[in-house]
Parts: sequence; C-alpha cells; structure tokens
Amino acid sequence: MALIVVIVECPTQCRVVTKALSDMSRNFSSSNPNPARGGIRVTGFARLSLVILTLVAITSLAFAALAPFSSPSEPVATERKREARFAVEIHKPDSPPLVEIGLNDENGNPITATCATCHANREPDPSVRTVEDLKSFHRELVIDHGKLSCFSCHNSADYSSLKLADGTRVEFTEVMQLCAQCHGPQMKDYENGVHGGMVGHWDLSRGPQQKNNCVDCHRPHAPQFPRMIPTFKPDDRFLDKHVPPVPESAPDLIHE
Amino acid sequence: MFPPYLRAHRTSFMNNHAENPDGPTPSSGNDQDLLPILNQPTTRRTALKAVGAALGLAAFGKAISPLASIPENVSVDEFLQQHYKELSDDDKERIFARLEQETKESYGADVTISDHRPIPGVRFAYAINLSKCNGNGKCMEACHLENNHHRGVDQSYIRVLELPKGTLDMEEGNTTFDHTVPQEDKFYMPVQCQQCDNPPCVTVCPVEATWKEDDGIVVVDYNWCIGCRYCEAACPYHARRFNWEQPEIPAEEVNPDQGYLSNRVRPQGTMEKCHFCLHRTREGRLPACLEACPTGARVFGDLNDPDSPINYVLQNKRVFVLKEELGTRPSFFYFFD
Amino acid sequence: MSSASSQQVAETERLHPIRSYPRFLWWGIGEATNGNLLFYTWMFVLTAVALVGANAWAVQVSSGMIVTNMTDHVSWGLYIANFTFMVGVAAGGVMMVIPAYLYHDRKMHDVVIIGEILAIAAIVMCLLFVVVDLGRPERFWHLIPGIGRFNWPMSMLTWDVIVLNGYLLLNLHICGYLLYMRFLNRQPNPRWYVPFVLVSIFWAISIHTVTAFLYCGLGGRPFWNTALLAPRFLASAFVAGPAFILILFSILKNIVGTRMDEAPARLLINIIRVTIIVNLVMVASEIFTEFYTGGAHTASARYLFLGLHGHNALVPWIWTAMTFNIVAAVLFLSPLPFRSERVLLLACVLAFVGAWIEKGMGLIVPGFIPSTLHEIVEYTPSLVEWKVSVGIWAFGLMVLTILLKLAISVYRLKPLVPAETPEPE
Repeated sequence: MALIVVIVECPTQCRVVTKALSDMSRNFSSSNPNPARGGIRVTGFARLSLVILTLVAITSLAFAALAPFSSPSEPVATERKREARFAVEIHKPDSPPLVEIGLNDENGNPITATCATCHANREPDPSVRTVEDLKSFHRELVIDHGKLSCFSCHNSADYSSLKLADGTRVEFTEVMQLCAQCHGPQMKDYENGVHGGMVGHWDLSRGPQQKNNCVDCHRPHAPQFPRMIPTFKPDDRFLDKHVPPVPESAPDLIHE
Repeated sequence: MFPPYLRAHRTSFMNNHAENPDGPTPSSGNDQDLLPILNQPTTRRTALKAVGAALGLAAFGKAISPLASIPENVSVDEFLQQHYKELSDDDKERIFARLEQETKESYGADVTISDHRPIPGVRFAYAINLSKCNGNGKCMEACHLENNHHRGVDQSYIRVLELPKGTLDMEEGNTTFDHTVPQEDKFYMPVQCQQCDNPPCVTVCPVEATWKEDDGIVVVDYNWCIGCRYCEAACPYHARRFNWEQPEIPAEEVNPDQGYLSNRVRPQGTMEKCHFCLHRTREGRLPACLEACPTGARVFGDLNDPDSPINYVLQNKRVFVLKEELGTRPSFFYFFD
Repeated sequence: MSSASSQQVAETERLHPIRSYPRFLWWGIGEATNGNLLFYTWMFVLTAVALVGANAWAVQVSSGMIVTNMTDHVSWGLYIANFTFMVGVAAGGVMMVIPAYLYHDRKMHDVVIIGEILAIAAIVMCLLFVVVDLGRPERFWHLIPGIGRFNWPMSMLTWDVIVLNGYLLLNLHICGYLLYMRFLNRQPNPRWYVPFVLVSIFWAISIHTVTAFLYCGLGGRPFWNTALLAPRFLASAFVAGPAFILILFSILKNIVGTRMDEAPARLLINIIRVTIIVNLVMVASEIFTEFYTGGAHTASARYLFLGLHGHNALVPWIWTAMTFNIVAAVLFLSPLPFRSERVLLLACVLAFVGAWIEKGMGLIVPGFIPSTLHEIVEYTPSLVEWKVSVGIWAFGLMVLTILLKLAISVYRLKPLVPAETPEPE
C-alpha cells in the first residue's frame, strides 16, 4: 500500500504558490517558458544568503562603477530568422498527354498518340461544344466541368498546347495558369499553402516542399474530387460496428 | 479532575459479560511475572496462528506470482529513471541506448531514438478545411504507421467524425461509418489532440508526466507516467490513448525514426497522445497525417511566422475551435471554404 | 484528588508491564487474532477471497489492463467507483465524531472509536483501489513529494493523496492513542487527541469534497461538471457511513454479543433521516436541471436513466438504486426502524447498496458515456475487475475485523485499579 506521508513545509508552499500564480498569469499567445521551479525561500538560511547576495551585488556594482572599460555584456540572443533557402517544388505534368487511339500493337499494348498526331491534319470545328457534338473519337470522355466547351481550354491552333481565355498559348506543363483564370480563390489558397496536398518540409530553411499540381488531384474534364472508400477505421474494443468491414481488395478511389 | 465527557470512557458499554477464555486477564499483579501478557507459554493456538500466518504468506506469494514476469519488462534502470526534465545529456544517451536495445530485443527492429527539442521561436498550430475533408481516413492510417501504434486495435491519434450537414452537434456524429465517402448529406471532421494552450490534461496530471513545451506541443514522458488515466478523463477531445497492453508491431513495420517524447514504442500501462509528429516537425518536416491527406484539407505551420499558411488561414478564413466554451484554447483550428 | 490520581498512575504502571506502544500493538494483534470457530472461518474466507483478488491484480499488472473491460472511452470503471464510494464511507464515520466531540454527547464517546476504525479500514481500501487502477503501480514513488514530482496544488489528485493519507494518519493516531490509554487504564490527555479529533472532523469533509472535485473540475465531462457534486457526495456519504455503522452495531450485538447502548443507534438513525432526504432532494434537482434544460449536455443523464440510441446497460442499475434509496428513505422516515431491528437492517442495507450503485454505476461510469466525441461504448466490469474489487473488500473487512477485535479486547480488559466510577458488571 502506498502510504504517502506528506510533509508540507513552508518553502514548498511558497514554491507551489509561485508556480500557481505564474501558471495563471501565463499569456496564451506567447511562447510560455516554464516557470522556474525554484521560488521564494524564507528559511533562516535563505535570509542569510539573501544578505550575502546583496553584499556581493553592492560590491560588484562598486567595482563596475570603478571599471569604465569593462567589456560589453553578451548580446541578447535574438531569434534566428528562418530564411527560405529551399524551394516549394510544384509537380508538373511530364509532357502533353498521350491519347489511346483504340488500336493495339503486336504485343497487345494500346497504341498511344499525341494530340497533334491526329489533329495536325484535321480542321478544327468551332461548333463542337460537348461530347455529344463529336462524331468520332473522344466520345467516351466524361465531361463535367461547368459550361466549358473543348476550345475553352484546348488550343485549336496548336493541339500540343492549351490556351488561356485571351488566346495566349500555354504549355500543358503550365496548366495551372489555365485553371487559375477561373479558380482564383483556390489559386490564392494554393499559393499560401492552404490548398493542394504537399509533402516535405514546412520549414523552408531546412528543406524543400513538394506540392501537387491541380491536375494531380482534379481530372480536367471532371474536376470534382473523386469519392473514396475508407480503408482504415478505428477498431476499439466494444465499439459498435454496424457495417461489415470493407473487403481488402476494395478500390480506394472511385471515379464516377 | 477530568471533564465529564472524558469520564464517559469509564462506563463502557463494550464490556462483555463473558470473559475471554484465552485473553490475558492481568489480574495477578505478581512481581515475578513482569510480562504476564507477552510471556505466556506457547499455546497450541499461538503455534497454529503462526502456521496459519505462514500458510497465508505462502499463498499470497503464490497468488502474486504472475508479477514474476515483470523483471523482463521493467529493468532496475527503468524503475529508477528520473523525469525527462531532470535528465542530463549523458543520462539521455544512456537511456536512449537502453530503449533502442529493448526495442531490438522485444520487436527485432533496429531503431534510433533521438531527443527532439523545440525550435526556438516556433509555435505550432494546425488547421483543417472541413469543406475539403471527405472522411477517407488516410490521416488515421498514416498516424498509425508513423507512430508505431498497436496493430491489434488499429490504434491512431485521429478519429474522423461523420456529421450530418446542418449541425456541429457531435451527438449526431459517427466514427464507424464504412461506406463510400463523402456522402451527399454528410460532412467530416477529424479530431486529434488540439494542443491546448490551457490543457486540462496537464493540469490534472498528479506527477507532471505530461506538459506543454515551448512550441505548443503537449508531450508525455512515457517512462514517468503512472497510468492513472486522469488526463484521459480530463481531455474534452478524446485525444489521449492508454496502452492497455504491450503494443504489437511486426519488425518490418516498426518506424525506426523515433523520438523519445514522440513515436517510440510506448510501454504498457502508460498514456500516449498526438504530438504533432514532433520527431518530424521539429526537424522542419510536415506531420505524417498532413502528407497523407489526399484532399489537401490539412494545414500546418508556425503561428509566430506571419507568412505561414496557418496565419493565412486565421486571417482569411472564418475559423472556429472545438468546444471553445471550455476555455482550453486549442492550437487546432477548423474552417470552411 | 490529584495526589490520588498520581498514586493511581504509579500503581497502574507497576501492574501494567506493557509500557511501549509497539508492544501494545503486538499484544493487540495477538488478542485480535484469538477467537472462536466462527471468527476463524470468517477470516479464512476473507483471506481466500483477498488472495483471489491479489492473484487477479498480479495478472492485471503483468498482462496489462487489457484484462479489465475499461477502454479509452470508459477509462475509469469499477475500481474508481469503489474508491469514490469508500471515500464516502470513510467520511461517513465522522458523523459519530461530530456529536461526540462537538456536542459533548457522552453516549457517543465509546462508539466513536467504531466510526474511526471504519474510517481506517475504508481509507485502506481507498488507497488499494487507487493502486490497482494504476497502469504502472511500481512507479507510485513518482507521487512522493521530494523524490518524485508532485503536481501540487494544480492536480486535484495530489490533493486527494494528501487528504486521504492525512485522514488515515489522523485516525490511526486518534484510535491508537485512545485505545492505548484505555489499555493503560489512564485518562487520555485531551491535548493529545482533542485537537486531532477536531481536525479530523473537517478533514473528513475535505476528503469527500476533494474527491468530488476530482470529477466536477473536469469541464469536458458535463455530467460531472456540476457544483452540486460535492454536496451530493457528502449527503450520500452521511447516509452510507452511518448505515454501515448501524449494520456493524447489529452484528456486534447479535453475533459477537457485545452489549450496546441504544442512544448512539438512535442518533445515527436520526442523522440518516436528514441526510437521506437531502440526498434525494439534490438528486431530484440534478435530474430536473438535466432533463428540463435538455441539450447535448444531458446525453449522459439520458443514457443513465432512459438509455441512448438503443444502449441501456446502466438503466436497470440506476433504477434499482433509485428504488433502494426511496424505499430506504420511506423506511427511515417511518417509526419502524426504532421498533423493529429487521426493518432497520433492511433500510440500512438498502441505503448502503443504493449509495454504492449511485456512486459507481450511477456516477463514474455514465460520466464517460457518451465519450467526449459522443461515441457510445458501454462498460461492464470484467471478471478480473470483480475479483480484484471483491478481494479489496475482503481485505478491508479483515482490517475492520482485526481492528474491532483489538478495540473490543482493550475495552474488555478488567481495570487493574478501581477507577473513579466503578465498572458496572
């Protein structure tokens, strides 16, 4: 049995009261250093040492006054400014996209082609606005992106690139410029580190940070974030588990 | 001579009519018999009592024999180990080496335990965008893997609540949802340690085994905690977890990058909690849950840096904290786009 | 008169060779372990049960508290519930001290020792219940001021450590001193015990207040976060304590054969008559506040009394407790307990069990259900928890039996020297 005898003595109380007071007066936004565990001691010994300390202080003050060329005191340690020495690296698409043309090579792998492969010798049809307007190719595309038409983003003058609303040519790798035209608030959040996934360092003085590109998470033709099936759930004892567990092979991301 | 109420002792109602047959009746005031009570001849009853006491002690020894397995888990060094704040650098080196050795023996994994201290001038805060969070639970899983959690109960410092749109009343919430997310009529709210500025868990700890560090992180000295679970009762956010048994982790899954105050394998019978992945964040890296979030709903940064993402959120979004009325002053914020 | 007294003391000293307190205690233990077959059977059963408890605790320490049914949601269970209740019983013992010493009620003076012995046994049980609730009991030294780090005055648990151990020491001193003086056939010196008795009266109230503050200081648990908690604790303590003492009286009278005075029992019944009503009034006002106001904060109360979202494990418990309390109150308020000892015993048992359920299943457990994130995880104690708890009860009863026997042995000693008032024989 833990019989704990408590000896409440005066210095303990003082220390404790000091601690309590400093706890109470703690300012929440400041980085609060822990209050010293020492505190006021009022024993006879303490009084004696106080007297000695005072004497020492007076003596040293006198010496300080007598020594005009004493070395300057140590500079106060200032907070080290963290300079961003590393970059925020934004992931970029490797190249313009490759499209499956619907044929397989001798090994059975689908044959892909760049946009320009086909579109170089096809006249752009400005009347095409949606998938329904297409007579051949791309009819399997699911497009759910507001009221945008194909040529809102695709550059009919050069299919290996994209274009901004004012017609300026934009490389596929710089697609974020295109998105930002409409999605300004998201872009602002993104630039301030509040939108888009990231890995690496929060402190750019210590290491770089890698961020996703818009199209890493949002499919350009149907940008809503896909639905998912949670694969990890709390498994506490006695917790109600109404629903049977997900099979292990369950898909994680569901694109609809 | 005596106050009347004291004299009351004289008229005892406790006197029995029958004298105790074996009891000492020191009525013989004999000078030779100086110790009439203690010098009784050893009666059969006294011998029987001694036998009974010995048997009782033996039975007690047998009863508590399961404790014999403890010396394997608790070394003398661990028993005598001082509070973290009282450890010298030499102590820490010795203790970390011992803990690494113990992890090797118990889990078969080579790990490095380090002592991560707060970065001067930094104060951490976290924010979650509830418009983005879709309840997929990747953060929980990342926490589970990063922090060497007990595999048996899928332990994690994060719980994700599914709430119906139109209320923030957790009474309506559910953590065991197991369907495609997000549901049309629901939103999702992950809850983990809010790293309060006025942490009730720290106030109530009787042995100062948990405290708030300068960068705002509330830590636990797992080797000082006595396991009374008062902090778990005090926490309004269900942020604390108790090690009801020794965690089980396969050797190949043990995260070898460990901190003494953070993700080292916790001992049985002690309290643990989210520490903002201090073994990462105090090295300038992002917390594991943030890196794992596929929706980018999580924001982490330095409150003291005016250009940090967290300050952008505080100034440009409408944020709220959980259970603000309790005065815990969380360093963890929630916002909607 | 004074010279006669000093002569008397000298005579006593010549005749009483045991002049040291440790020797007196040793003698007392020898005396207290003498008894008839009933006594030995009783002690044997208690020892066996206590050993089962010790074994269960050892299993719990070595394999972890996973063997209990506590969870991260319901992180305190049967142990802390029993702890809280036993603090009440310990504090309840003081209800005999107050009339005896504050109001100089002579008849209470001799029974006061029973209350104090009960307090000692109850505190020993409290300390054991706290120790078995620790995940790392071997680290208890971290709590010792000076060696460990004692978070006083911030943590209410450190206050509890102080008041519980203080109360134990106070009662050990008062009991030991009074019994030793009685043994020596000396008049106790009021200087050596009256101040301690007065302190112990306030201390008894403080142990239960501090224990209530453990819970009601937690803002995150609305079910506990009520100013009425401490008064409620005290009221129910002043029901459970005297009820247990009344049961003890009956056992002493009917089984041990000790002659009892009627007056203390009457006083205790009258005390219960008041406190049981005060307790019920406070429970009623809590229920009103919870249910009339409504809102999320009443979830625990709804769970406790009505069940919540199909979970209703505690509903039978609390209604049993309520029924017991109300029936006990009606019985106590009627004249029956004065007439029939059976009715009195029934009322006492109902009040005692009612208070036990109310403190345990009715107060500690629902504080955790639903959890702070409003998850509902129900709790039923595991076999290990029951074994450990019953073991501690058995150990507490052993302590109580031994101490009572010791006291009775001392009181049964024939004074060697005639006192001022001759002993009625």
